[in-house]
Amino acid sequence: MKPTDSKNPVISLKNVSKTFQNKKVIDNVSLDIYAGETFIIMGCSGSGKSTLLRVMNGTIRPDEGHVFIKDKDIYHISDEALANIKKNFGMLFQYSALLDSMTVEENVALPLDEHTKLADEIIKIIIKMKLSLVGLRGYEKYYPSQISGGMRKRVGLARAIALDPDIVFYDEPTSGLDPVVGGVIDKLIKDLSAKLLMTSVVVTHDMQSVFGIADRIAMVHKGAIVAVGTPDEIRRSDNPYIQQFINGRPEGPIDFFKEDIGIIQDF
Amino acid sequence: MVSRIGKAVIEYLEWGKGVGALLSGIVYWIVFGPFKGKFPRRRYIFQQMVFAGLRSVLLVFFVDFFTGIVLAMQTAYQLEKMGAVIYVASLVAVSMCRELSPVLTGLVVAGRAGSAIAAELGTMKVTEQVEALDTMSINPVRFLCVSRFLALLLMVPCLVILGNLSGILGGFIVGTGSLHINPDLYMQTTFKHLEIKDVYTGLIKAVVFGMIIALIACFEGLNTKGGAEGVGRATTRSVVISFILIILADCVITAFFYFSKI
Repeated sequence: MKPTDSKNPVISLKNVSKTFQNKKVIDNVSLDIYAGETFIIMGCSGSGKSTLLRVMNGTIRPDEGHVFIKDKDIYHISDEALANIKKNFGMLFQYSALLDSMTVEENVALPLDEHTKLADEIIKIIIKMKLSLVGLRGYEKYYPSQISGGMRKRVGLARAIALDPDIVFYDEPTSGLDPVVGGVIDKLIKDLSAKLLMTSVVVTHDMQSVFGIADRIAMVHKGAIVAVGTPDEIRRSDNPYIQQFINGRPEGPIDFFKEDIGIIQDF
Repeated sequence: MVSRIGKAVIEYLEWGKGVGALLSGIVYWIVFGPFKGKFPRRRYIFQQMVFAGLRSVLLVFFVDFFTGIVLAMQTAYQLEKMGAVIYVASLVAVSMCRELSPVLTGLVVAGRAGSAIAAELGTMKVTEQVEALDTMSINPVRFLCVSRFLALLLMVPCLVILGNLSGILGGFIVGTGSLHINPDLYMQTTFKHLEIKDVYTGLIKAVVFGMIIALIACFEGLNTKGGAEGVGRATTRSVVISFILIILADCVITAFFYFSKI
């Protein structure tokens, strides 16, 4: 199933800009993401990709432009309507962001508890299903501090998909994990998109997962979109930014070092 | 200089606005939450009540007990000169109930529960847990603050009642033990002069202090910025600001009761 050609975008950004403390973090971004695809936003640290994700999921209100989720302009509707739309989102955080005071089971149960009227027994069953989906059956009673980082991330994923959301946002899903667990997470993301027909938006700079799971890729630099394309298009692109990024070269148009403001002047 | 003062004033106003907004948010969820089926679970409120209330019992007991003892000895020192030692009983009871027990209990709870709340919420904030709640469209104010607010609102008055009793007990031990007042007479004098309004003005203070502690701790916690250092700063700020506001509110409420002759 290649969803790229379907007509209606699930997420649509129109000329979105956001400025933090006089620094333009998102610069006039327009983007369409279609149903069922795995869309990857890649870019260097500080390029504004995480902010872009948070603009899409209704956390950060942009200064200019519009964000449409299924044709609803989410920053120009009531807070309550936005909260209702957000119930169709799942989000996996970079550091999992599980609630420390609750067990694994309670963490996964939280969205179900809050947003559904399901009986406790049914919620218990759903938790078991979601945890077995991420391979963590038997860890229900553990606290987040008692399990490893990779497991926490998988619990975070179970929580993100607890309500069977339409869209799942992943903020650096593989960072800080060993390659094997990273691969497991990548596989989970891919499986979820395929099995549950979820739209996935992934922010990452892990090249292995970029080319492993993406249907389409957007490269972000200094808050602006450099290019959007399929993995093949991106790999074959002659855009110097993309080539530098995917090959991880220190020299190129992406300047790691600030232009010579001069060490001498610092003295 | 002027710009610096102006900046400070603006910062205070912003802070006040933020606290006001949080208070109105909490009150909104307490009043309308039950109709939307979005009231915090009883379990969470009980959890907080146990933490803020039950676990403070021993501390409050000792603080007020020893204050009662000290108060009895200090007043006996004065009253002995006038041969009116018996009035130690009523003096201890009235000043504990009206003033000392609410304020001391408020300070103890602010130092113990308030700081813990600020640190917990601050940590949740810097580790994205608050944001996670928000993306799950669970309102953080409703989910985190309402239960803590209600718990302190209910538990501080309870602790103050305990404090009143332990203060009177402290005075009783000094009065009967070292001042040789007949125990029956001591208790009689205590309750002759202690009126019901002395107790309930103290409890009104307790309710206000409880609200102040919860509100400031939640606000500072949820507005924590920047890592572990930020959590430390939020904790300190919550304790310091609660202390100041408790004393200030105590002054205002006392003045109100004094001038309105209630």
